[in-house]
Amino acid sequence: MDFSAVGAAASEALTLASFIGIGGGVLLGYIVGVIPGLSRSVAISIAIPMTFYMSPFIAISFLIGLSKGTAAGSAVSAILLNAPGEASSAATALDGYPLAKQGKPKTALQIGLIASVMGDILATIILIFVAIPFARVALMFGPYEMAAILAFALVFIAGLSGGNIFKGLAAGGLGIFLGTIGLDNQTGLPRLTFGYTELMDGMPLIAVAIGTLALSEMFVQSEKLRYDRENMSVALKKDADDRITMPIFKRILPTILRGTGVGTFVGALPGLGPSVGSFMSYGMAQKAAKEPEKFGKGEPKGIAASESADNAVIPAALIPLFGLGIPGNVSAALLIGAFAIHGITVGPLLLRDNPELLYSIFAGMILASLIMLVLGWYGLMFFAQITRVPPHVVIPIVIFFCLAGMMLQGYGTFGLIILMAFALLGYLMKKYDYSFVTFLVAFIITPMLELNLRQSIILSRGNWEILLNRPIAMFFIACTVIALVALIIRTFKKEQAVANAPAD
Amino acid sequence: MKKTLAAILGATLLSAPMAMADDWPTRPLTMVIGFNPGGSTDIQGRVLANVMEEFLGQPVNVVNQPGGGSAVAFTRLSNAEPDGHTFLFGGTTALTFTPIITNVEYEIDDFEYLAALAIAQNAIVTSAEQPFQTFDEIIAHGKENPMTYAQQTALDEAIIRAIAAEEGLDLAIVPTGGGAGMAPLVLGREVDFAYSGGTHAQYTPTGEMVIAAFMSAERSPFYPDAPTLIELGYDYAIEDYRTIIVPQGVPEDVKARLMEAAEFASTAEAFVEITEGNTFFPAVYIGQDEMEANVRRIREANEAVMAD
Repeated sequence: MDFSAVGAAASEALTLASFIGIGGGVLLGYIVGVIPGLSRSVAISIAIPMTFYMSPFIAISFLIGLSKGTAAGSAVSAILLNAPGEASSAATALDGYPLAKQGKPKTALQIGLIASVMGDILATIILIFVAIPFARVALMFGPYEMAAILAFALVFIAGLSGGNIFKGLAAGGLGIFLGTIGLDNQTGLPRLTFGYTELMDGMPLIAVAIGTLALSEMFVQSEKLRYDRENMSVALKKDADDRITMPIFKRILPTILRGTGVGTFVGALPGLGPSVGSFMSYGMAQKAAKEPEKFGKGEPKGIAASESADNAVIPAALIPLFGLGIPGNVSAALLIGAFAIHGITVGPLLLRDNPELLYSIFAGMILASLIMLVLGWYGLMFFAQITRVPPHVVIPIVIFFCLAGMMLQGYGTFGLIILMAFALLGYLMKKYDYSFVTFLVAFIITPMLELNLRQSIILSRGNWEILLNRPIAMFFIACTVIALVALIIRTFKKEQAVANAPAD
Repeated sequence: MKKTLAAILGATLLSAPMAMADDWPTRPLTMVIGFNPGGSTDIQGRVLANVMEEFLGQPVNVVNQPGGGSAVAFTRLSNAEPDGHTFLFGGTTALTFTPIITNVEYEIDDFEYLAALAIAQNAIVTSAEQPFQTFDEIIAHGKENPMTYAQQTALDEAIIRAIAAEEGLDLAIVPTGGGAGMAPLVLGREVDFAYSGGTHAQYTPTGEMVIAAFMSAERSPFYPDAPTLIELGYDYAIEDYRTIIVPQGVPEDVKARLMEAAEFASTAEAFVEITEGNTFFPAVYIGQDEMEANVRRIREANEAVMAD
């Protein structure tokens, strides 16, 4: 490790501007996390345009701080409302809400916060120690390896998004199709731009992301407004006994460490989101417990398991991103877009050519965890109040930010029309259960996959034997084929199960 | 379209009555950059904006309008109010090359080219670890072995294809999507040689990348030993200038003020430092008459290459 670069990075991470940027990101993320129905990817897609005029370091740290904040904040509504702010905190509600009902809401919140912060810091440290050697190895990857890994990531993510394989294929296919729009990267000729200069660089990512993730979600939420929201919120009271104590902390510490491990592992694999991580961690904590029957009735370990894994996923998802330039999930894919806006290509060369930036981001991530601890600890009352903000106040504000963010992009009215079209598409996909995650990841991966595949075919001069000298590429091609076959078998089994089920 | 632009550029919403030349501008100016923030044009443009602001006494706001290698920005600029409050800073390939291969809604005559402030550098690069280092060595190697080349634009590909045909090389040409995609291919020796539109400034000082030849019309003062293709006997060049461009029809006295500001910037320490230090582009001042001729000459040369 280059220590002068580390020193420079630390000093950049400790400026007032970065404190404000990262702190603002964590605070915003916390608020978004607390509000049920506003998810992490919604927040990132809306926040990317806000980073246009920040330095690359502050912009990226702001966005990562935001992700971290949502993961911690979502525990608040899970515990007080029994309505997780993020799907990934659903496991937190299992024990958090009962504990709050038993008159210990503050204890539950503090356990959640401590587990979040610890999971976060430990996973960030693992990221730092894994990403750097990984990027060194990844430098040796050529177009063959990249094409094979990208194809694998695409199939894996499509497979994990679940549901019907044909709906998955349709969503992924649409993403691939839209990803091919724009100037051909060899001939420079326009493809499917229909004469619109604005489409030369492809469908604007911000419009696609804000449309399918954020704006469409607001449509879905407004539809739900017609139903009354159950009000079961637990209020925070002044109670000296209601706080986390050293014995509780000692009891949950092993659970936090296990949860961090699970979260890091899940996060580093492409396609597995934080929800998988937190439920897996919760399940493992229950199995390992001496009194598993206490789970679901207000067991502190349940909260700790879920929250530590939930937060550990976020830094871990950056391992494939910084190492290979490949996104592990939608939030990471959006970060690639954010890097691109700042003229930076994510991948193994980033570490080599711009180590200061990467080290600053790492330092910023640790800073974000610490800010999260302070904000969460002293802001408990404030965040508890936010759970009471009604959706009819939230939805118009978010819609405003969606539209304003698109205008900042400089596409003008054209951008707004595209945004609306994708909002409608996203709404229909959510309504009819097509995976918008598969769609978005396919859309973002396609240009990279196309370029690398094209390079491989041209460089090999169409000769398959060249792959024999490329064991890593062969390995990932094999994985892709296995994943595909597994997916097909799964779908057929499901169909058979449906066919064999007695008709009613 | 005009309405849209006004909305985006915010500052230009109210059109103030035209003031006298010496106190122009009386309200903030907008500098359009046709690339994303953080790219080399953007970094250079922001410094230029600061220096021009110092000279003109009004804020110069930078607005990024990325897309199609500045094609989007030129489309917008051609529809902008020609009062001099909105101008573009950047290269001219979207005018000298893009219209040859694709339909765009603007032409060279829609704009005026007030002043060029930097000469873009186009090079043919290879890895320092390759057995061939000069362009002649590449050609000699290619006569015996099949080779690979990484392109970035249809123009550099057309030139290399013409040379390969002339010399009888068996050459496979891959797309890279840009300098960031080219560097790992060259450094990892996945390709034998490649086009670089400035990325080499990052890798030649470390000794990992070497310049085999310049595709620009003249040698670079920063690599005095690297010959140009023309010197090597191939009659091809890729030329570009980072230029201050306004829509056709800006009043004479306003253009004169902008040119004075540009001339001031061309010797300002901050601007020269960012231009030469960051990209190894020579900082220059080339006036309007010469630039108008340059843009048209480059377009004709490109048309000739692409016609082959």
